[in-house]
Amino acid sequence: MPELTPAMLSDILGTVLEDTAFMLVEPVELPEAWVGTVLRSTLDFESVRSGTLRLTVEEPAGVELASSMLGTDGSDPEALQHGRAALSEVLNVVGGVFLTRYFGAKVPSQLGLPQTEPLEGRPPVPAGLAAAVRTEGGHAMMLELELG
Amino acid sequence: MAFDILLVDDSPVTRKMVRRAVSLSGLDIGQVLEAGDGAEALLRLAERRFDLVLADINMPVMNGMELVERMSADPVLSGVPVVIVATPLSEARVERLLDLGARAYLPKPFRPEALKGVVEEILGKGVIHA
Repeated sequence: MPELTPAMLSDILGTVLEDTAFMLVEPVELPEAWVGTVLRSTLDFESVRSGTLRLTVEEPAGVELASSMLGTDGSDPEALQHGRAALSEVLNVVGGVFLTRYFGAKVPSQLGLPQTEPLEGRPPVPAGLAAAVRTEGGHAMMLELELG
Repeated sequence: MAFDILLVDDSPVTRKMVRRAVSLSGLDIGQVLEAGDGAEALLRLAERRFDLVLADINMPVMNGMELVERMSADPVLSGVPVVIVATPLSEARVERLLDLGARAYLPKPFRPEALKGVVEEILGKGVIHA
């Protein structure tokens, strides 16, 4: 298995965002401050080891994501409506890419269903491995991995 | 001749993305209808005929694997090809899906040309309604 590093997480997230939503992102330091409503998508998985992936963003990043995925303007009602679903879908694809890249395609693996909800308060300090990227719209996205 | 597609995915965003990919693929498309999970897909399939089903795996209520299994066991629906459009899967799961009756697996994310290639391989370049 390859070494687990923040660079690996940011690379997976960047690749998925580019391929799924045509979004280009750059790796950045973990955000120290979060503004407004913060959304967190959570996805459990089982493989050689079980674990959880979490994707945390400020709500406007979800709208940017949805508008990129749908090919619409960020003010489009559909983009505004689908920000949380877009976040769930991206984490779902991230999960599949992570499992095959880290554990390998020959190992039976199973993803749970992603759940996206607004956080009450600020996100806690990541308990496991974490990496962040910044979108072209200037929004941070933080991906965390916690292995069981 | 145009052919009709049923998109099965619990994510409305993904359904819209796949619908967009279908429209950009250059395939001769008739109607494209949607279902949010396998159970809803079976209802749609009981109502009318489709030429192709594009289904996700990871869905609540009834997942894509069970949908494929149910369709394969049904004398009428077993003739409707199912393409699994899902996040990267282990080789064992892909083999299991193909054993159950899925005709192809297209990993997300995919480009419209990839969808076109898979569909043309399954349905041929000219599809005629029965």
